[in-house]
Amino acid sequence: MNPLILTIILMTVFLGTMIVMASSHWLMIWIGFEMNLLAIIPILMKKYNPRAMEASTKYFLTQATASMLLMMAIIINLMHSGQWTITKVFNPTASIIMTLALAMKLGLTPFHFWVPEVTQGISLTSGLILLTWQKLAPMSILYQISPSINLNILLTMAVLSILVGGWGGLNQTQLRKIMAYSSIAHMGWMTAILVYNPTLTMLNMLIYIMMTLTMFMLFIHSSSTTTLSLSHTWNKAPLITTLILITLLSMGGLPPLSGFMPKWMIIQELTKNSSIILPTLMAIMALLNLYFYTRLTYSTSLTMFPSTNNMKMKWQFETKQITLLPPLIIASSLLLPLTPMLSILD
Amino acid sequence: MMTYIVFILSVIFVIGFVGFSSKPSPIYGGLVLIVSGGVGCGIIMNFGGSFLGLMVFLIYLGGMLVVFGYTTAMATEQYPEVWVSNATVMGVFLLGLLMEVMLVLYVLKSEEVGVVFKFSSVGDWAIYDIGNSGVFSEEIMGVAALYRYGAWVVVVTGWSLLVGVLVILEVTRGD
Repeated sequence: MNPLILTIILMTVFLGTMIVMASSHWLMIWIGFEMNLLAIIPILMKKYNPRAMEASTKYFLTQATASMLLMMAIIINLMHSGQWTITKVFNPTASIIMTLALAMKLGLTPFHFWVPEVTQGISLTSGLILLTWQKLAPMSILYQISPSINLNILLTMAVLSILVGGWGGLNQTQLRKIMAYSSIAHMGWMTAILVYNPTLTMLNMLIYIMMTLTMFMLFIHSSSTTTLSLSHTWNKAPLITTLILITLLSMGGLPPLSGFMPKWMIIQELTKNSSIILPTLMAIMALLNLYFYTRLTYSTSLTMFPSTNNMKMKWQFETKQITLLPPLIIASSLLLPLTPMLSILD
Repeated sequence: MMTYIVFILSVIFVIGFVGFSSKPSPIYGGLVLIVSGGVGCGIIMNFGGSFLGLMVFLIYLGGMLVVFGYTTAMATEQYPEVWVSNATVMGVFLLGLLMEVMLVLYVLKSEEVGVVFKFSSVGDWAIYDIGNSGVFSEEIMGVAALYRYGAWVVVVTGWSLLVGVLVILEVTRGD
C-alpha cells in the first residue's frame, strides 16, 4: 500500500479508538466505532486473495450489525433518560442490547463465530491488530457502563466463551485460529469479573495484550502460520523456541509467570463475592486452553518434531528485526512479583 | 388531513425504507431512495426547516444519489431483480409492510404517538436555544451551532468521509 495512505489509515484506526475511549457523548462513541471499522478494512485486505476478502467482509458485517445494535440501545437510552452523556445506562432494555452489541464486537459467545474465520483469513500482522487493538474500544465502553450491566447475561456469555475458547482450540493446527480461540477465552475471563471489579478487567486486558503481542511477534519472526512450520524454529532461531515456551505457558496461566496474575486476581475477587462454583468451573475450563498451549510447546520447544532431512539444515538468512521483543518478553513472563502494586490502582 | 400530514409522510418514509431494505436490484433501491428522500424533506419542511429540506434535495438526491445511480447503471446486470421477481425479496417486503401496517393501526387505535416518539424528561429537543427571537429561524441557528459548538463533530465527520473515500479506493484497487 502507498505509505501515505497506510499512515492515514493507521492513524484513523488509532483515532477511532481514541474517540471511543475519550468521548462523553454517545453519538461520538458510535462515530468512533464506525471510523475504526471503516479504516481497518483495508488493513485486513492487505493481500488480495479471496480468503482475505471473505474475512474482511465477515468482519465488516458482524461489526456493522453490532454498531447498529449499539445505536438502537443508545436511542432507547435517550428516550428514557433524555440525555446523551455516557454514565449509567438507565433502562434495562437498553443495557441488555448494549451488552449484546459490545459482546458481538469483542467476540464473546454466542457471537464468537467470526473470530477464528476472520483471524485465519488475514495476514499475521493484521491479525495482531485485530486481536489486540480492536478489543480496547469495546472493553472501554463495557468498563464505563459496568454498574448497569445485567449480571446474568454477562456471566453466561463469559462462561460460555471460556468453554468455547477452550474446546474450539483443541483440534487446531493453524496458529492464527489457535490465537483466535485463545482470544475468545481471555475475553470470557475479562468480562466475568467486569461487574464485580472492573479494574481487574483492565489488568487482564493489559496482560493479555502483552502476551498476544509477544506471541504474534514471535510468529511473525519465524513466518510460521501452522504448528508444523513453528516446529522448525529450533533450526532457524533456537532462542525463539525458548521464548515461545515461556510465553505460551504464561498465556495458559501458570505461576510463576505473569499470566497467572489476572487469573489469580479474578478467582480471588469472585470468591470474595461468595461465588464458589463459578471460579472453580472457570479454572477447570482454563485447563483446556493450557492443553493446546502445551501441545504447541511440545512440538516446538520440547521435542524436535519429525521433519524431512532438508528441514534440519536450513540456510541462515539475515534475521528479521522484531520490534520491542525484549520488553514484551519481560512483561509477559516476569510481572508476577509486581502483584502487590495492584493496590495503587482504583 | 393536514393535521396528520407529518404522520402520513412518516409512514410513506418507512414504507420506502422497507422497499429498499428488501434488497431488489440497486437501481430500484435508488428509485425508492429518491421517494424516501423527497418525503423526508417534506417532513422536515413541516417543522419549518426549509433550508435543510433544500439541502436534502440538492446535496443528497442531486449529488450523492446521482453519482450512485450512474455507478449502478454502469455495473447493472441484464435482468435486475424487482420486488416481485423472487420469493425472498417479495417475502421480506411484505413482512416489512405488514409490520408497518400493524404499527400504524396500533398508534391510531391507542390515540397516542408515544410508542414511536416519546422523550421523557427533556420537553424539547433543542438544548441550544436562540430565545424566541422572531427574526432568525431556528434551523439556521442550528446549522450555525453545528459549526460553533459542534466544531469537533464537523472535524471528525469530515475526516471520516475523507478516510471513507481512501478506504474505498484502496479496497477496489485489487492489485
